[in-house]
Amino acid sequence: MSKIRKIIHSRLIVTWGITLVTIVIGLAIVLLLIANSKRTVIQDAPPELPNQANPTDMLPSPKDVNIYLLESDGLELTPVRLELRLYAEPTEQLKQILSALVQTTPTNYRNPIPRGTVLNEVYIDTQKTAYLDFSHHLADGQIGGTTAEYMSVTSILRTVFDALPENIKHVQILIDGKEVETLAGHLNISQPLRF
Amino acid sequence: MQYNIKMCLRTFDPIKLFLFIILLVSATHGFSDAETVRFVNGEGDILDEVEFILHDNNIYLPVETLKSVFDPEMKHSYHTPSKQLTIKTKDKEIKLLMGNPSVTIDAGRQTITLTVPPRIIKGEQKLPISFFEVVLPELDDVRVIYKPELQRVRIMQNTSLPSDSSEINPLWTVIIDPGHGGEDDVGCKSQTGLFEKDVVLSVAKEIETLCKQHGFSIYLTREEDVKKSRQQRFQIANRFETGLYISLHCNASFSQNHKGLRLYLNNPYGSLRFRTAPIPTLGIKNLNIRTQANFLQQSKDFASILQKELNFFAKDPIAISEFPVISLKDVYMPAVLIELGYLSNLEDAARLTNQDHIRELAQTIVRSIQVYSAKVGHTIKSNGATAEESSNPIER
Repeated sequence: MSKIRKIIHSRLIVTWGITLVTIVIGLAIVLLLIANSKRTVIQDAPPELPNQANPTDMLPSPKDVNIYLLESDGLELTPVRLELRLYAEPTEQLKQILSALVQTTPTNYRNPIPRGTVLNEVYIDTQKTAYLDFSHHLADGQIGGTTAEYMSVTSILRTVFDALPENIKHVQILIDGKEVETLAGHLNISQPLRF
Repeated sequence: MQYNIKMCLRTFDPIKLFLFIILLVSATHGFSDAETVRFVNGEGDILDEVEFILHDNNIYLPVETLKSVFDPEMKHSYHTPSKQLTIKTKDKEIKLLMGNPSVTIDAGRQTITLTVPPRIIKGEQKLPISFFEVVLPELDDVRVIYKPELQRVRIMQNTSLPSDSSEINPLWTVIIDPGHGGEDDVGCKSQTGLFEKDVVLSVAKEIETLCKQHGFSIYLTREEDVKKSRQQRFQIANRFETGLYISLHCNASFSQNHKGLRLYLNNPYGSLRFRTAPIPTLGIKNLNIRTQANFLQQSKDFASILQKELNFFAKDPIAISEFPVISLKDVYMPAVLIELGYLSNLEDAARLTNQDHIRELAQTIVRSIQVYSAKVGHTIKSNGATAEESSNPIER
């Protein structure tokens, strides 16, 4: 009798054991599926906007920003510090800084951006590429020469990367909303650029 | 008197005395104010820096200069009564008379007349700089160029260059691209009204003449003042099987201080970089993707030859810049853009109106083409090709 009990007892242990293992494996599979499905959901979700700040929010205090210009007797672009009251949102900040670049020429400096150039619009995509749309003056006002064209482009790039190093990794210059191959026939700006 | 000596001893300052001696020595020896002429070889290495004497606005150098810059085994002797200077190199004998511009080589076999005679100055025999320019090429297979504004003399060996034009591969073509052109595209302009399109065309024509003289096949993307699109220029270049593409431009800057020559290479991943990654080769050797990037190394090789040769025109080394250059983008052969000078700089603009300077620039560029051509072996006929078999892809 005790032998039969022992057998029943051991069978019970085996049955329970198998049941438990099955439950654990089942749970693991379910959890894995949930995890995978979540990942898929994340992939399919629309990309997050780079910044959720309200475009009209201003930073609490003025900020120092550098715009890159050429000293009258200099050979290289040098930073000129400006104190600006900036919006909190990066795209808005960029508009403010680039507008300052095209409009500011202190005494004893030369601005490599041709006179009359206007910043039409700025876009920053999810890959941290800034698309900067300038008026046709940026191309039409070029004085010719590789050095001058390189300076115009690098003045914009340096100013952008200096101001927003975390938010922008590449810059593409557009003219009146369109991609262009070059500003003056030397430097290829048909794709997003970085240093 | 005793009082004075005591005062002097009391006020004696050894530092002041030391400074006084230094000043005295520097004043008597002229410190390093002495003017010198720098001799360099074909590679731009300094051979010697020699102090010169200015006499009637002409530069005179010691006879010993020949030893350090030309022939270390050179010997010379001077016969005072006849005022005759005899110079013996390894295989030639040169005779000069002080105050006489005639130079006799190998007992009258050859006579050269200098613009300025050799002279006795401060008791020593001195040679005018024209002696080095004119006589040395007669003694050895060298070219000598003197740049007065840089006080530099360059002595180049001619031996590495093809001497016979029949050795040059007729399929290998030099394509010269004079930038801009036409009424709408004058390029940059100088304050004096000089247009880039005209300067580059005149240099291109000069290069064309010299290349033809040296037996090179050459083609210009424009022969006159006409507008040519970038695509048209690329198409012209890519019709040739093999060659070298040189785009000629003049520079401009917002700073009038920018001056000199500059070289540019099309590298989409240079100092300015595109976002997209370079095309992977995937290990397939035969996959012939035609891009300018495939020729980057050869373009670099040619640019460094140009840099060495053109450095002779500049006080500072000529820069080679690499970034995405649109005017070389779709050329499927080694390609370099040369900015010949800044039209925004008065000095450069004046030089680029000077026909002698233009000729010198063209000569230096052609010399670079010769050196590159010899280096990469395009001077040897390949696959048994002959001038008759090869036909120019473009009817001229």
